[in-house]
Amino acid sequence: MAKELMLSGCAAAAQGAKFAEVEVICSYPIRPYTAIMMELSRMVANGELDAEFVHGEGEHAQVSVVLGASAAGARAYTGSSGVGVTYAFEVYSPAAGGRYPLQMAIADRTLDPPGDFGSEHTDAMSARDQGWLMGWASTPQEVFDNTLINYRVGEDQQVMLPQFVCQDGYFLSHIPDKVVLPDIAQVREFLPPYSAPHPLSTTCPVSHGPQIKPDQGAVMDAQRASTFLIVPEVIEKAVADYNRIFKRNIPPFIEKYKMDDAEVAFFIMGAHANTCKKAIDQMRAQGLKAGMVRPRWVRPWPTKQIAEAFQNVKAIASVETSTSYGGAMRGGNLVHELRATLYDLEKRPLVTSFMAGLGGDVILFEDFHFMAKILNQMVKEKKTSKHVYWIGFEED
Amino acid sequence: MAIKVPKEREVPFGAITPAPVGQQDLFMTSNWRIVRPVIDNEKCTRCFICYASCPDSCWSYNEKEDQMEWNWKFCKGCQICIYECPSDALSAVAELDFEDGVVRLEKPF
Amino acid sequence: MAKVTELTVWTRGVVMDKEARDVANAFANAAQKEGKFVQAFDNYEDLPDRVLVTTRKYTRISDEEIPMKYEYVNHHPDIVVIVEPTIVKGINILKGMPEGGLLLINTSRPIDYMLKFIPNADVLGAIATVDADGISGIRTVDFSGSEGGVDQSGIGAGIAAPLLGALAKVTGMVKKESMASVISDVASMERGYNEVKIKKFRKARAEYFWGS
Repeated sequence: MAKELMLSGCAAAAQGAKFAEVEVICSYPIRPYTAIMMELSRMVANGELDAEFVHGEGEHAQVSVVLGASAAGARAYTGSSGVGVTYAFEVYSPAAGGRYPLQMAIADRTLDPPGDFGSEHTDAMSARDQGWLMGWASTPQEVFDNTLINYRVGEDQQVMLPQFVCQDGYFLSHIPDKVVLPDIAQVREFLPPYSAPHPLSTTCPVSHGPQIKPDQGAVMDAQRASTFLIVPEVIEKAVADYNRIFKRNIPPFIEKYKMDDAEVAFFIMGAHANTCKKAIDQMRAQGLKAGMVRPRWVRPWPTKQIAEAFQNVKAIASVETSTSYGGAMRGGNLVHELRATLYDLEKRPLVTSFMAGLGGDVILFEDFHFMAKILNQMVKEKKTSKHVYWIGFEED
Repeated sequence: MAIKVPKEREVPFGAITPAPVGQQDLFMTSNWRIVRPVIDNEKCTRCFICYASCPDSCWSYNEKEDQMEWNWKFCKGCQICIYECPSDALSAVAELDFEDGVVRLEKPF
Repeated sequence: MAKVTELTVWTRGVVMDKEARDVANAFANAAQKEGKFVQAFDNYEDLPDRVLVTTRKYTRISDEEIPMKYEYVNHHPDIVVIVEPTIVKGINILKGMPEGGLLLINTSRPIDYMLKFIPNADVLGAIATVDADGISGIRTVDFSGSEGGVDQSGIGAGIAAPLLGALAKVTGMVKKESMASVISDVASMERGYNEVKIKKFRKARAEYFWGS
């Protein structure tokens, strides 16, 4: 008895939290993710969702509250945007190292200064080394799916990691699209209740996060790194179950679009991938064999799948919606990990990157066609003459 | 090689901008009004309560003509001065009754 | 590529925000019921949590899938709806309108009086007024701004209903029956449908119903 609604990304995330039957929610307003908390507060007030709704005094307090809740054995949910994400930074590593599978919904927003509401991935990307699962959605339906899948993967007893469920601010969080909501019975079959292995408890006392000496530090790190080696199998099984129960066809790690015979390709994350797919249709109509790979996860990075998808491609455009000032390529974040992924291939494709969609800019069809033109030039000259192009600032 | 920014998109260094002193002409709020306060100078006792109560400082005293002057560029039509006036000198009149008196903007801001 | 009809609704923040959102959403829902591809959303940059500031809501309707869904504004609105009449005085609401567009204003004043405030009215194909405040003077104060996403309940109460009725009549883009099935106050919608006054200027483009 699936229900089809037009929901924005924020509303879809709230529905995801409701169907996941979260037990503790901590809120603090910041645009654009704040709509998620408004929806959830309405559901808790109506009795649709039976959860403890705490209003934190800041984003740092938000993550601390849900960390405590998760440590006590509750399924916890929170979220933030932009500078809120960076304000809570101190708590990210304790959450991951303490193995609390809480979930944080992030609707991207450019970091200050000055105040820009537009979407840019830097806010969550800057936290990718903290040991959380992280991935970007590209449609409101995917935001809903990711909410459930991330809880399932994060709460798996072998994994036990917190998760970032990220979406573009405004493009995804505020523009509605079709979402199919399932039955609660199906969700309960997919997502069993959270059972913490060693919760804080009065009857069976445990210490969480005590002081250690330096010789135990590396061992702790190795323990966390080993977890990430098995996360991909858990993701595969979870998505296979999701597809079976909800009759869907979601790819577990990356979304490939017309990659079978692609000669040039785009590597893009988030809502702008939808525009990219339409642009690729236009390019194909003009005779250019273009394709797209969209990673659904940033942590764990789907190294094997990306390398496989790109192995026969001649040139790749990495569309960067985040910044890494002073980074190795002096551009964005994705290109560094992409180049590392492709380094061991026999025939290395040429890789360049385009800074697009920053600060909330819309990436237009013309921009993708400009990128395709550069890629064609690279293929013809058999080299990458420039590694970073700034869309909108290049004279062509 | 610095990244070339088109002239129409240039922004100041570090987003540091000069602060306005007195009145500025970049962000006019006259089109927020639905009603405007109209003053009856006979009833006005020059008590300055409208000047004190306006959140946007839209009333000032014109010494030469000895009457209160209204800033039509920034008044947002909140009607606080109309409610506060002790001598009923101010009344609210629909802005559309007047043919001018609003800065016509090309876009909201 | 099929034509995308753009509709922009101008309103004022907090005190009339929900009405405009209802107009944009209900128009989109009714068109969707008739099989069109639609998109309805609020302007993101308007910061609508300030009382009386001008804010905008957008709707896009097309016979095929809308190609670019992420543009922040409707750059070339074919239809402009004004929920509070003073807005025409202080802002260029017809900016970017292609030749022969439609302007609908919620007012009881005569059309010729309103035209005095619009210097660039020669781009219009038709102008219409409906006294939505007189028909159903309810306005809801809504502090959720545009952050609440899409309003799925109670669409079309208050002054939105007569405006929607007027839109259905004047644009001819949705049937009255489709509109009646998505909103809650059908009586006011019927009155708006019947009481809208329209003045046509000249032959509008062929795609526009209001031109002939």
